[in-house]
Amino acid sequence: MQFNRILQKIIRTGVGKSRYWMAIIGLGVAMLLILVALQVHTDFNELLHGSRNQNERADYLVVNKLITNDMMGKPELTVFTPEEQKDFEAQPFVEAFGAITAAQFNVKLEADQLGFSTLAFFESVPDTFLDVKTEEWKWQAGQQLLPIMVPRDFVNMFNFGFALGNGIPQFSEKTIQSMTPQVVISQGMQQGQFIGKIAGFSDRISTVLVPQSFMDWANKAYGTGEVKLPSRVVIRVKDPSSIELRDYLEKHHYSTDNEKTKYNKIRGIVQTIVSVVGFFGLILLMFALLVFSMFIQLVISSCKKEIRLLVTLGTAPARLQRYLLGQLVPVYFVTGVIALAVVAVAQWWASGVLEKHGMYVAPWPGVMTIAATVGILLLVYIVNWRTVRKEIQAHT
Amino acid sequence: MQIELSAVVPVPLRDRIRERPSDIWDRAVSFRPRQFVKIKAPSGTGKTTLVHYLYHIRYDYTGTITAGGRPWGQYTPAQLAGVRQEAISVVFQDLRLFDQLTAEENIELKRVMIPRPLYPADKIREFAELLGVTHVLQQSAATLSYGERQRIAIIRALMQPFQWLMMDEPFSHLDEANTAKAAKLIEQECRVRNAGFILTDLDHDQHFTYDVTYQL
Repeated sequence: MQFNRILQKIIRTGVGKSRYWMAIIGLGVAMLLILVALQVHTDFNELLHGSRNQNERADYLVVNKLITNDMMGKPELTVFTPEEQKDFEAQPFVEAFGAITAAQFNVKLEADQLGFSTLAFFESVPDTFLDVKTEEWKWQAGQQLLPIMVPRDFVNMFNFGFALGNGIPQFSEKTIQSMTPQVVISQGMQQGQFIGKIAGFSDRISTVLVPQSFMDWANKAYGTGEVKLPSRVVIRVKDPSSIELRDYLEKHHYSTDNEKTKYNKIRGIVQTIVSVVGFFGLILLMFALLVFSMFIQLVISSCKKEIRLLVTLGTAPARLQRYLLGQLVPVYFVTGVIALAVVAVAQWWASGVLEKHGMYVAPWPGVMTIAATVGILLLVYIVNWRTVRKEIQAHT
Repeated sequence: MQIELSAVVPVPLRDRIRERPSDIWDRAVSFRPRQFVKIKAPSGTGKTTLVHYLYHIRYDYTGTITAGGRPWGQYTPAQLAGVRQEAISVVFQDLRLFDQLTAEENIELKRVMIPRPLYPADKIREFAELLGVTHVLQQSAATLSYGERQRIAIIRALMQPFQWLMMDEPFSHLDEANTAKAAKLIEQECRVRNAGFILTDLDHDQHFTYDVTYQL
């Protein structure tokens, strides 16, 4: 007969059965909570930063100063000074920084085909900040054709708001692109005429854009001559929902498209929930460890006479420790594997559901989650090993 | 392995020992390998205490006991376990069987305690046959008579390799015929191992040819 089978009859682990199962269930639930918290954290990060989830629109933010009542009529307060620009550009979360140059001349659009004429304005940004790449987007001095980019929102506004209300026909984007409105720019007595050409519709920067080269030329030719500071800047950020960005904007009273930074709030909520879940998981893990230790103490003290006799007869204390741990380890190893499996299945399911909504997360648990499983099992093992050793030593 | 006592005095018996002379207490004594040692002692002179000291499960004495040249106190628990598995076996006066095991399991425990058992499993039956306890092997140790328990404890002690066998009144509950059988088996097993034994008894035991006899 095996030595361990005889030990099984001598050391009755059945004495603390309820405690034992409490500890196992506690450990299982604790591991589940911790692993879920870690996995959700990983997934959320992947949704925000993963290359597959890059949201073009969310990466570029147009920032301006908040206009308050005090600032009204004082345009010099709403511009970004060179120091402010430099400081902003130096922030770690800003990947690229560009000023939006405003026109220093008047603009008038005339569409003769439609009997339509309107005052307008132009701005420009460095080409790298554009989301529409087109061959037409260039201008040289002397060129009559002037490419213009309008926000897509603008087209929608025209089609669904203005056109319907005023009995004007709605236009497709293609039709609009085929139109060639007259562009008249003027400053004082000076006046210039160009043929406008809608080169594209921007989702990113909601303003009427012309190529930077045209803007530089026109500002020189028609402007007042003095350098005007930009009142809007465009930045490229890795994570529009980052807390640092939000804090920076708040601190300097800058304002940007709230829609794009709304993830701030969601992220804050998710982080709080994840932290709370993880925290409860840790607390539960501590209790599970405590109950485990109590179980071990109970088992050992309930057969301390037998343990003493076993050692008297020559059983090595280390062997008794191994035996006692051997009774526990497989069970919580299985518990850990089950917890990880549950998280893995949940992750696989969630990945499928999210994919239908265009959000991509890995279908398997993250490295952190697996590492945590190993870490927790190791922790439980070490705590149990110490308890067993201490108790055996105390009784021999 | 030589076992040596040097000025050993049990703390609880200190005063009584001073009053009467003893061959063991407060003297230098050497138990040499392969010796058959008899320690004769009236009740209350510390017979069991001595066996416990020699087996190192009681420590309330002054003086030193060395085994193989090393004081007991220097042995680690693991080394002590090694000694009890391979070098020193014991039959306690109170026998110390596990009541929750059968007689056979009690013996088997000692047999398989070492990774490579000295004897195969059928040796248990062979010894049980010799001592007339085959019929109780499958019974719970709790249900055995004292005499039967005593024989089971002896067989258990013989399941392991040893250089010394400590026996504390091993035949106290055996009749003459059974004592003779047990003594014969013990002597045979000691010879096989080239081992000695230390036996304590109340009176004069005639079943062995002792090399040395002490009065406690």
